[in-house]
Amino acid sequence: MISPDSVKDSRFRNSLAFKVIFWAVFLSLGIVWLTESALYAKISDGIRKVKVDSSIAESQSAVFNAQYRLVLSQGSTEKTIQQIIDDVVVNSTTMIGSSVNGREVVLLQSGSNPQSANDYQRTSNLVAPSSIPASLRSLVRKSKKPEWAEITVSYLGGNQIPGLAVGQNITIPKAGNYEMYLVFSLVNQNETLNLVKSSLALAGLVLVLLIGLVMWLVVRQAIKPVQEAARVAEQFTAGDLTQRMKVTSKDEIARLGIAFNEMALSLERQISKLEALSHVQQRFVSDVSHELRTPLTTLRMASEVIHTARDSFDPVIARSTELLVAQLDRFERLLEDLLEVSRFDADVAVLELVEFDLVTLVDRCVLDLTLLATENSVVIERSHENDVVLVRADIRRVERILRNLLSNGIEHSQSHLIRIRIVQSESAVAVGIRDYGIGLDPEDAFRVFDRFWRGDPSRARVKGGTGLGLSIALEDARLHNGELEAWGRPGAGSHFVLTLPRYSGGIIESRLIKLQPEDYLSTSTIEI
Amino acid sequence: MTLVMVVDDDQDLAEMLGIVLTGAGIDVDLVSRGDEVMEIFRNNPPDLVLLDVMLPGLDGIEVCKLIRAESMVPIVMLSAKGDTHDIVKGLEAGADDYMIKPFKHPSELVARIRTRLRRANSGLSGQLTVADLAIDLVAHQVTRGGKVIPLTRLEFDLLVALAKEPGRVFTRDALLSEVWGYHHSTDTRLVNVHVQRLRAKVEHDPERPELVVTVRGVGYKAGGSSGS
Repeated sequence: MISPDSVKDSRFRNSLAFKVIFWAVFLSLGIVWLTESALYAKISDGIRKVKVDSSIAESQSAVFNAQYRLVLSQGSTEKTIQQIIDDVVVNSTTMIGSSVNGREVVLLQSGSNPQSANDYQRTSNLVAPSSIPASLRSLVRKSKKPEWAEITVSYLGGNQIPGLAVGQNITIPKAGNYEMYLVFSLVNQNETLNLVKSSLALAGLVLVLLIGLVMWLVVRQAIKPVQEAARVAEQFTAGDLTQRMKVTSKDEIARLGIAFNEMALSLERQISKLEALSHVQQRFVSDVSHELRTPLTTLRMASEVIHTARDSFDPVIARSTELLVAQLDRFERLLEDLLEVSRFDADVAVLELVEFDLVTLVDRCVLDLTLLATENSVVIERSHENDVVLVRADIRRVERILRNLLSNGIEHSQSHLIRIRIVQSESAVAVGIRDYGIGLDPEDAFRVFDRFWRGDPSRARVKGGTGLGLSIALEDARLHNGELEAWGRPGAGSHFVLTLPRYSGGIIESRLIKLQPEDYLSTSTIEI
Repeated sequence: MTLVMVVDDDQDLAEMLGIVLTGAGIDVDLVSRGDEVMEIFRNNPPDLVLLDVMLPGLDGIEVCKLIRAESMVPIVMLSAKGDTHDIVKGLEAGADDYMIKPFKHPSELVARIRTRLRRANSGLSGQLTVADLAIDLVAHQVTRGGKVIPLTRLEFDLLVALAKEPGRVFTRDALLSEVWGYHHSTDTRLVNVHVQRLRAKVEHDPERPELVVTVRGVGYKAGGSSGS
């Protein structure tokens, strides 16, 4: 499973366009955010300042008016003063709730006043006195000028609205110092500011999207030739050496194109030179092998004629005749193998597929090699789970693989047993050939398939082998999409496993026979 | 005396072939150029032609086609090329058998020539039928509705091998041993090509054979046949 994260991750890494657009959008988002918040701060300051200025002016005149009336009432009864204060408060008030331009009045006693019998603290329209924050109050008490602050106006009913409080000290005869606050609504301003804010946000978003879109168009324009170059390069790599980039302009891309085309041309020349050379060489090997065949045929027939008459020769000549025939045999096998190798090298080896029973084929190979096995006192055992193991493959090649493996096993098993196992699955078949002879060094297990490889160079070549058998067997197996592997331990024998897809073109998914033979561990424990 | 025409441009090999075949009691006519074959062939018709593929004048495949156009004589191709492509081309041109140089044993060559020359099924007599085909074992003739279908000796043998045991499925190996006299051989190309050639001559529609039927994964059998 691929998580969405990793998809994004891989897209980010794989697409230049995606990367560029991502960064463009990300950075422009930051820039837009910065400029818009600065703009917003400026606008909101402006709007607030107008409101604050007008509010201070209003409040100054209201407070002056109230103070004036209170000064005039100097010496009046407390009741009169009470009336004046009520009047001042009510007159100065216009309902905030009903009109956007309304204002409330809050009259609060300054804490440091001498105690008076009367409490003149008032608020209009049930505004909670606690709406005026302590910080503003202390500021007002110390100041001679009107002071202001933005507050949240709380009504006793529980309503809350944003507001602006402007406060000033006021002196009430016989009652000492009070603070008079005029509270203005900021609902209107806030609405305006909200509108400005959302407009700015929308504009910013649209701007970023447009930037993204423009980047996409631009990047696509710039990347298209790069993609085209990549496509051409890929096809070139895939083997189409005629691919060239189109050069239509004089920009950087065109320079890339020219450089690429020059490289392609030089590569194409080199490759075709090498191809011609290797073709000539393969052709030569093949021709030599073919040309050798006709004289070899004559030689063989001549030697056969001499050989049939050997009884009438003296012993030395008779023996020489035998050696001649045997060496011609060997020469012919070598030639045959060389020709086969040259076919593999020239890539002209083709499969001729038929469906056949692998068990029957193994039996036939064993039968054909009985003479060799008896000469070497080797016993061949065969086990298979199924009576018929059908496979679709090139029977000649499979037979050749089996013969090569078996004769190799017989030669190296040192008069021991050889076990053949045949296994099949849905998609593959396998033959395991296990001998208990001299074995192999583990590191030589790969090298046995090398051409003309000898396990021990000082040891004489076992008679009959061309040194190409296993290498041809491996090529045959690979031609079928199959696998041929070797295992060996010195003194513990060796194990060759051939795995073939059941139907040609198939793929072998697993090894049906383990390369390390199952009886190996038990053998080694006994030895210990 | 049996006469074999040996066509090979290699003088030494041709001479050697002559020695071996003469030793086996076979008369030999040596020809070294492809374009000389037909004239000699007409003047002195051989019992079998041993034909090399690579020849000066006219190549072996072409010569094979020319001979086949006027005679059903057995043809054995000799090739220094063991590639399937060349072998199949030779067989398709009408060769009955092929041998790749160098031969495993020169005696093998003699044996093959004898197999091709022997009148197969000479012990049998009478008539076989496969669907609407009538096979006359004595006259070595195959007829459909009284009309003779010309078959080479090998094609005839192949057809008889299948027809004399109707219903039996022959593996390719069994046919190789029965018809070509090969034992322990896995060369199925011979069988495949000749079955194709036989079908082309006797089937109504060679694309959908009814007389020589393929049994998948096993081999061939005679279809709709009944012996007599």
